[in-house]
Amino acid sequence: MTKHDESEEVSRAIVKIQAGVLAFVCAMIGGIGLFVMTAWLLIKGGPKVGQHLQLLGQYFPGYSVTWKGSLIGFFYGAIVGGIIGWIIGKIYNGIVGIRQH
Amino acid sequence: MLEVSIIGAGPAGLTAAYELSKLGLKSTVIEADHQVGGLSRTVNYRGYRFDIGGHRFFSKVPLINELWQEILGEDFLVRPRLSRIHYDGHFFDYPLKAFNALAGLGPVEAFLVGLSYTKAKLFPSEEETTFEQWVSNRFGHRLYRIFFKTYTEKVWGIPCTEISADWAAQRIKNLSLSEAIRNALFGSGRTKNGQIITTLIDNFYYPRLGPGMMWERCKELLAARGHETIHETRVEKIRHRHGRVECIYGKTFSGELVEFGGDHFLSTMPLRELIQALDPAPPEEVLQAAKNLRYRDYLTVVLIVRRETVFPDNWIYIHTPGVKMGRIQNYKNWSPEMVPDPTRTSLGLEYFLWDKDEEWNWSNDRLIELGIRECAQIGLIDPTEIEDGTVVRMKKAYPVYDQKYYENLAILRQYLETFSNLQTIGRNGLHRYNNQDHSMLTGIYAARNIVGEKYDVWSVNTEMEYHEESRVEKTETSKKKVFSKVGDTTLGDRQVPTRIVPATTASHISPDEIIEAVFAKLDPLALGTAVGIVSGLSLFLATIILLLKGGFVVGPNLSLLRHYFLGFRVTWSGAFIGLVEAGIGGFILGYLIAWLRNWGMRAYAFLLKKRAEAEAQRRLLDDV
Repeated sequence: MTKHDESEEVSRAIVKIQAGVLAFVCAMIGGIGLFVMTAWLLIKGGPKVGQHLQLLGQYFPGYSVTWKGSLIGFFYGAIVGGIIGWIIGKIYNGIVGIRQH
Repeated sequence: MLEVSIIGAGPAGLTAAYELSKLGLKSTVIEADHQVGGLSRTVNYRGYRFDIGGHRFFSKVPLINELWQEILGEDFLVRPRLSRIHYDGHFFDYPLKAFNALAGLGPVEAFLVGLSYTKAKLFPSEEETTFEQWVSNRFGHRLYRIFFKTYTEKVWGIPCTEISADWAAQRIKNLSLSEAIRNALFGSGRTKNGQIITTLIDNFYYPRLGPGMMWERCKELLAARGHETIHETRVEKIRHRHGRVECIYGKTFSGELVEFGGDHFLSTMPLRELIQALDPAPPEEVLQAAKNLRYRDYLTVVLIVRRETVFPDNWIYIHTPGVKMGRIQNYKNWSPEMVPDPTRTSLGLEYFLWDKDEEWNWSNDRLIELGIRECAQIGLIDPTEIEDGTVVRMKKAYPVYDQKYYENLAILRQYLETFSNLQTIGRNGLHRYNNQDHSMLTGIYAARNIVGEKYDVWSVNTEMEYHEESRVEKTETSKKKVFSKVGDTTLGDRQVPTRIVPATTASHISPDEIIEAVFAKLDPLALGTAVGIVSGLSLFLATIILLLKGGFVVGPNLSLLRHYFLGFRVTWSGAFIGLVEAGIGGFILGYLIAWLRNWGMRAYAFLLKKRAEAEAQRRLLDDV
């Protein structure tokens, strides 16, 4: 029995992603990630705080590298992350479904 | 009603009778000894009980575990296991532990063992056909000589250079990946269906008054159901005609010849004796094959020691050269009730012999003297502490797998299959080194075959793991093997009552289902495509949002991505280039994530298997 055969013996199943769960996880990563990145720059301080990060304001109306902006960023990050996670989950499951049939 | 005569009241014979009683068939068990239990009987000497060897009750067959519980109930104890190796005045942990072994051997020997191990790893023997080569390649020749050679040769009486490597490799080879994972994640004490059984490592089941208690109780249950067990009657002749056994003749101790009839016959007699008892005699080739089967005999010298505790182990493997005994059992540590007086200890010194060996014919007194001398020699007891002793001899305790045994067995099997109403079961009935549980299983199969099932009793052996037992359906058109699980209620097993498990702890998911889910693979193509689509669309959207918003210089920062995506600009055409290139990049990323995750899980599974194999190697003596 080859190693490949043996691993087949352990599990022949293909993972199905729970799109809702992946959306939630990506939302948390996106939201918390943007919040932390913003807060980190604010804590570090300096003459021009977050001059690059605040470019996200182009996509997220109301977002800026401020404490208030960090909360808004959390909201946007979570929304975008959630959408990305959900779409990845749905597309993945769709392709797996097609391939299995 | 069909009547069945069963030769031998050991685990196989009595289990067959028990199963037949469940199936509503009448049986009579004929036993040569005054006790039941065969190799698993418990001998009682002045209130001191002892086994013929040590019989741990451990099985991976759910059916057998249920049967043991059904027969003994609360008298079935869970006992802790401790066994060590005695070598050259030192005790070594068993299973072997590297640090403990090296510390016990002393610095010089440890260094030499290290060198030998390194040599074995760097320059292993290319040929691996003998037990010696197999073990030396894994542990080094020096460790092999210390921990494997002496004991193995004592037990089997054959030089390790003449024992096949397959015998040692069998257990390791049979460790499947899924089994290794199941054991690692859920413990070795679970069956495939998640049923909990005691672990082989630390505990085992044991009847309160020794293994014989199981079979005495089984005999009582059979008697209560009207099934007779006849003692002290040795079967000497089996009369047959036209492929059917007609009757068997047993000789009682008083010399009286008794005839037993029946519609079916089950035999646990050693195959050699069975064939020789057939009347008319089988063809010469069959007789010769039977004569060629070899057996290893076993002798226990029991010493009663005037001491409360001699050592904490259930048994000790004696590897020390210069003493003949192979193992010492401390029956009190198997169950405290094995001794009538808690201030005394009974030890069983085990000698593995051929019946032609001179020791086999020594007087009991001479053997007891030998036992006392050897125990004192290895420093276990003071000879003056010995209060009493006795000797029990067990002929044909171990069927020997010599180079010709398989060939001989095939001839006998082929001949025996010509009988329509005779089946052979048990260790000696099949000439197979089965443990008690497997012998019992052969009895159950044989009983079920009588009512029309088609089990192959010869397929039951110690290599069966997790026991999806083979059940051969012989159809008219083909002899295709169909596998089904023993333990399924569909096979008609009587289920024992079980406690209601509280809802909070009840799990309806078997370990295999959990493993199947945990080790399920990510589809790299699907994940690559999903991540690719999302990446491409994200960059496309990010670009066109900036384009739609407009401004003096559109997207100077986003356009820096051109360093990674060739041709990308924050323009309408650039948006499509970004879509394609980010899509390709995302696909590669997603594909790699899935591939790496699958590879990691596979590597983890093989790591678990390697660990299990190493563990099995360390426990090799259990199978000797």
